[in-house]
Amino acid sequence: MLKKLFVYAQNLTRIGFYLISDLKIHLQTTDYGNFLANQTNPLTVSKIDTEMRKRLCGEFEYFRNHSLEPLSTFLTYMTCSYMIDNVILLMNGALQKKSVKEILGKCHPLGRFTEMEAVNIAETPSDLFNAILIETPLAPFFQDCMSENALDELNIELLRNKLYKSYLEAFYKFCKNHGDVTADVMCPILEFEADRRAFIITLNSFGTELSKEDRETLYPTFGKLYPEGLRLLAQAEDFDQMKNVADHYGVYKPLFEAVGGSGGKTLEDVFYEHEVQMNVLAFNRQFHYGVFYAYVKLKEQEMRNIVWIAECISQRHRTKINSYIPIL
Amino acid sequence: MGSLFRSETMCLAQLFLQSGTAYECLSALGEKGLVQFRDLNQNISTFQRKFVGEVKRCEELERILVYLVQEINRADIPLPEGETSPPAPPLKQVLEMQEQLQKLEVELREVTKNKEKLRKNLLELIEYTHMLRVTQTFVKRNVEFEPTYEEFPSLESDSLLDYSCMQRLGAKLGFVSGLINQGKVEAFEKMLWRVCKGYTIVSYAELDESLEDPETGEVIKWYVFLISFWGEQIGHKVKKICDCYHCHVYPYPNTAEERREIQEGLNTRIQDLYTVLHKTEDYLRQVLCKAAESVYSRVIQVKKMKAIYHMLNMCSFDVTNKCLIAEVWCPEADLQDLRRALEEGSRESGATIPSFMNIIPTKETPPTRIRTNKFTEGFQNIVDAYGVGSYREVNPALFTIITFPFLFAVMFGDFGHGFVMFLFALLLVLNENHPRLNQSQEIMRMFFNGRYILLLMGLFSVYTGLIYNDCFSKSVNLFGSGWNVSAMYTSSHPPAERKKMVLWNDSVVRHNSILQLDPSVPGVFQGPYPLGIDPIWNLATNRLTFLNSFKMKMSVILGIIHMTFGVILGIFNHLHFRKKFNIYLVSIPELLFMLCIFGYLIFMIFYKWLVFSAETSRVAPSILIEFINMFLFPTSKTNGLYTGQSGYTLIRKESEEEVSLLGNQDVEEGDHQVEDGCREMACEEFNFGEILMTQVIHSIEYCLGCISNTASYLRLWALSLAHAQLSDVLWAMLMRVGLRVDTTYGVLLLLPVIALFAVLTIFILLIMEGLSAFLHAIRLHWVEFQNKFYVGAGTKFVPFSFSLLSSKFNNDDSVA
Repeated sequence: MLKKLFVYAQNLTRIGFYLISDLKIHLQTTDYGNFLANQTNPLTVSKIDTEMRKRLCGEFEYFRNHSLEPLSTFLTYMTCSYMIDNVILLMNGALQKKSVKEILGKCHPLGRFTEMEAVNIAETPSDLFNAILIETPLAPFFQDCMSENALDELNIELLRNKLYKSYLEAFYKFCKNHGDVTADVMCPILEFEADRRAFIITLNSFGTELSKEDRETLYPTFGKLYPEGLRLLAQAEDFDQMKNVADHYGVYKPLFEAVGGSGGKTLEDVFYEHEVQMNVLAFNRQFHYGVFYAYVKLKEQEMRNIVWIAECISQRHRTKINSYIPIL
Repeated sequence: MGSLFRSETMCLAQLFLQSGTAYECLSALGEKGLVQFRDLNQNISTFQRKFVGEVKRCEELERILVYLVQEINRADIPLPEGETSPPAPPLKQVLEMQEQLQKLEVELREVTKNKEKLRKNLLELIEYTHMLRVTQTFVKRNVEFEPTYEEFPSLESDSLLDYSCMQRLGAKLGFVSGLINQGKVEAFEKMLWRVCKGYTIVSYAELDESLEDPETGEVIKWYVFLISFWGEQIGHKVKKICDCYHCHVYPYPNTAEERREIQEGLNTRIQDLYTVLHKTEDYLRQVLCKAAESVYSRVIQVKKMKAIYHMLNMCSFDVTNKCLIAEVWCPEADLQDLRRALEEGSRESGATIPSFMNIIPTKETPPTRIRTNKFTEGFQNIVDAYGVGSYREVNPALFTIITFPFLFAVMFGDFGHGFVMFLFALLLVLNENHPRLNQSQEIMRMFFNGRYILLLMGLFSVYTGLIYNDCFSKSVNLFGSGWNVSAMYTSSHPPAERKKMVLWNDSVVRHNSILQLDPSVPGVFQGPYPLGIDPIWNLATNRLTFLNSFKMKMSVILGIIHMTFGVILGIFNHLHFRKKFNIYLVSIPELLFMLCIFGYLIFMIFYKWLVFSAETSRVAPSILIEFINMFLFPTSKTNGLYTGQSGYTLIRKESEEEVSLLGNQDVEEGDHQVEDGCREMACEEFNFGEILMTQVIHSIEYCLGCISNTASYLRLWALSLAHAQLSDVLWAMLMRVGLRVDTTYGVLLLLPVIALFAVLTIFILLIMEGLSAFLHAIRLHWVEFQNKFYVGAGTKFVPFSFSLLSSKFNNDDSVA
C-alpha cells in the first residue's frame, strides 16, 4: 500500500532529469497522474507546489467530509497546527506592512479559515482572541497567552510557541483519552513532536534576550523529555550542552550523533527522518486514526522532496539533489 | 469451426521502418489494426525515449483542444461530429495545425478575458445600483435631516447615551456600504460587534434578486448592508473586516443629490457596457463557431498522432540509426495485409527505400487472438471474463453459444417469460444500428452488448417452457391430457376386471378431499403427452413431488453430460499440444472414473425409467440406496435393479482400485514423459517432486471435484423450482384475486391487477430471477465445465488500432 501511495524520491533522482518538464512526465506515471496537465508552459516549481498542495487539500477535505465523530475532531486537531502557522504568518506580514493578498498566497491551504484575513486588525493577543479567533478551533489554546503586550516580532514568536504548546498538549490529551490503538500510535508521534519543539526552541533561543524561565514556559509539558529533560534543557546555553541533555535519552542520542556526519545533515533533517520513520510505522497497525495523520505528514514530506528535487533541477544544483528525506 | 475453436496462429514479425516513413507506415497500420507492438525499450523511462518531444507537442495540442471544447460547450454551440474519422495528419501539416491552434487559443483567451472583465464590470455596476436603491430605504425617513447628519439627528432615538459624549468628541460619522454573501452575514455581524464593541450600527436588507458572484460565477443571494460608525480608527477596522469577508464595498453617497447623480451615471454606463458586451459576445461566438467546425476532426487527428508516437517510442533503432525496428505480433492470416499496409505507407511518404518486414522464429508464447463477430462477441466475453485462453487452446466460447443459453433456460423454463425476453432481445437486435442504443450508458449498454445472448436465452426458455408446460405458471393443454378421470369410476369397468383395482364410487368421491388416479387401472393413463409434461399435473396436489423427481434427475444427467464433454475437450487439447501420454494417463482415467461412477448412475436412472412400469413401481428399488451400496458392499442382500447387479458392483470395485493404483503409476510414468519434453524445450528445470505433488493434487482434486460438481449441477433443479414457485405465487396472489371478482366490476379491478402483475413479472421474474439464473449459468460454465480442460492463462491480443482509440475519445469528450 505504501509503495503505491508515495512517490519514491529514489526513483526520481536515479533517473537523470534535465528539465522540470521531464519531472512532469515522470510524475504522470505515479499516483499523481495528470495533475499538471492543464498548466500552461513554462512550468515552475511554485506551480508544482501549489498544485500538489491543492491535491493534498482535496484529499484531506474528502476524508473530512466522510468522517464522523471522533475522527472529525481528530482531523480538526490536525488542521490546527496549520492554522497557527497561518495566523502567525499573517501577523508577521502585517508587522512588515505587506499586503494581505500576498501573504494569503503563502498560507497553507489546510489551515485556511474565514476569519483569517482579519487577523491584522488585532494589536494585542487578547484582542486577537476576543475579536477574531474566539469562534475558531484555535480558541481553547489561547488560555495561556492572553496578554496586553503589543505584537512585535518577539511576542509573535512567543505567541506561536505558546499556542503550539497548548495545541500539542490538547491534541495529546485527546489521543490519550481516545485510547486503543490510536493512542498507541499517536502518542509516540506527538511526544516526539513535543520533544522536537523543545529542542528547536532551545536552539533558536541561544543568543536572544529570551530568559531561561520564559524559555521553560514554552516547552510542551509531555513527551520523553518531560519533566527532567526539559529542566536540563532550560539551563542549556549552547549546542553542546543541549547534546549532553539528549545523550541521556536512547532515542535522541543517535539522532544528535548523526548531525553533521555524512552528507552534512542538519538537526532538522535528522528530525524529519525520524518523523518519517514513525509515520511509516503507523501504517503497520490497523483500526486507528493515526494513519490519517501519518498519511498527511508523509504526503507533505513527499511534496517537500519533489519540490527540493525540482528546485535542484531548476537551479542546476545537481550535486545536492540527493539530500532529500527518503520515505522508507 | 476454424477460428472460434482455437485462437489464431501468431507470428512474431520484425518491421524495418525507414525513419522517414515510419510515421506514415504506422498510420496505415493503425487504420487497419492488424498488429500488436512489443515494447522494446522497457528499461528506458518514459521521458528518455526518442519521440518524447513529439508526444509533448501532442499533449500541448490536446491541452489547447480541451480548452477549445470547454469554451465551445460553455457557449452552447453544438459540436458537429464527423461520421468518418480523418486519418492522422501528414507531418507537413502538423506544424501548420499547431500554429493555427495556438493562434486561435491566444485570440480566444484574449477575447474571453475581455469579456470576463466587462462582465465583472457590469456586475459591479449592477450591484452598485441595487445597493443604492436598497440603502435609500434605510435612511428615507430621515431625508430631511440628511444634509446635517454630522449632528447625528438620525440617531437621537437610537442611542441617547452616546449622543452627548460623541458630540463632545466631535467624531465624524462615516458610512460603509456594500454587498455581502448571504452565508457570511451572521459571522460578519458578530465579528463587527466584537471588534468595534458596538460603536457601529449595521442595517441589512436582503436583495430580492440573486446575482452572480463576479469571482466564482455562482448565482447566489446577496445582502445589502450599511454600516454607520464613528471615528477613523473604527473605520479602518470596519474596512478590514469587510475585506476579510470579501464584501463588495461601494462608496456611499452623502447627499440625496449625489445619490441621484451617481445613479444616473451608473445607468448610462450600464447601457454602454451592455452594448459592448453584446458585441464582444457576438464576436466570440463567431470565433467559436468557426473553431467548432474543425475541432472534432482535430481532436481525433491529434489522438491518432499521439498514439503513433507512443508506438514509435516502443521501437528501437538499428545500428546505422537510419531505420526503426519494431517487433510486432501478427496473426498469420493477416501477414498479407500487413505487407500491403507497409507498402502503402512507404508509397504515401514517397520514400525511395520501402519499409519491409521479416518473420522471426520465437519461443515466447504469443498473445491469444480470437476473431469474433457481433454474435459471438458476447459469448467470448463470458469466457474471457474468467480468463483469456492460453495460446491455441480449445476455446470454450464455441460451445458456450449453445450450452449457456440452454442451461440458463433449464433454470428459467417458462414459455411466457422466455417469450417476453425473446421479444425484448429481438427489439434490440433489430434496432442495433440505432445511434442512441449504441451510445447508451451503464445498464442499458450491458443489455445491448448481450443482446444475442439474451435472444438465445429467450428462445431456449421458450423451448424449456414448452417441455415444463409452464406459461406464466399455468399449463397449456394443447393435445389433450393423457389421463382420464372417468376410467377410475366403478361403472366404467366390467365387473370381471374390478377385482384387484381400487376404484371410485359416489361415496368415495364425496367423502375424500384428495383422490388419487391409479395409472395401473386400464383406461386411466392413455399414454404420454406428446410434448413435455402433461397439463393435468398442474392440477395435481403431488405435482411438486413429481416435478422434483423429474428435474433432479434431469439436472444430474445434463450435468454429467456437460462435464464428460469437458473432459473430452481436454483430449483435443492434449492432441494439439502433442502430449499423447496425457491422453492415456490423464484423460482416459478421468473419463473412466467419471463414466464408471456417474455414467453408471445415469444408466441406473434410465434403466429404472424404462424397466419399471406402473404395475411394478412398488417393488422398484431406490437408486440412491443402490448407489451408496455400490461403494459400501453391504453384507445383507438387497433386491437390486436387475440380476447380476452385484457382479457389476464387484467388478466396478476392482476396476476402481485398479484405476486409482494406475493413477499413481501414471503419475510416475507421466513424469518421465514430461521429463523428455522438458529437455527438448530446455526452459524449465525438471523437478520430480514438484510435478508429483501437482499431479497427486490434480488427481485428488478431480475425484473430489466430480462428486461436488455433480452435486453443484443440482442448482439447475433448485433454481427452476424456485422460478416456477415464484411465478405460481405471483399468479395466486394477484391474478386469482382479480379473476375471482364478479363480472360487473371485475373489469375495473382487473385492469390495475394486470398492470401490477405485468410490472412484478418484469421486475421480479424476468430481471431478478433472470439475473440469478444468468449468474448460476455462468458459474456452471466457469467452474464445473471449464475446470475440466480450460487453462485460461493467456494474454489478449491488443492490436494497435485507431478504432479502439476514437471510441474511447468520444467518452472522454462527453465527460469533458
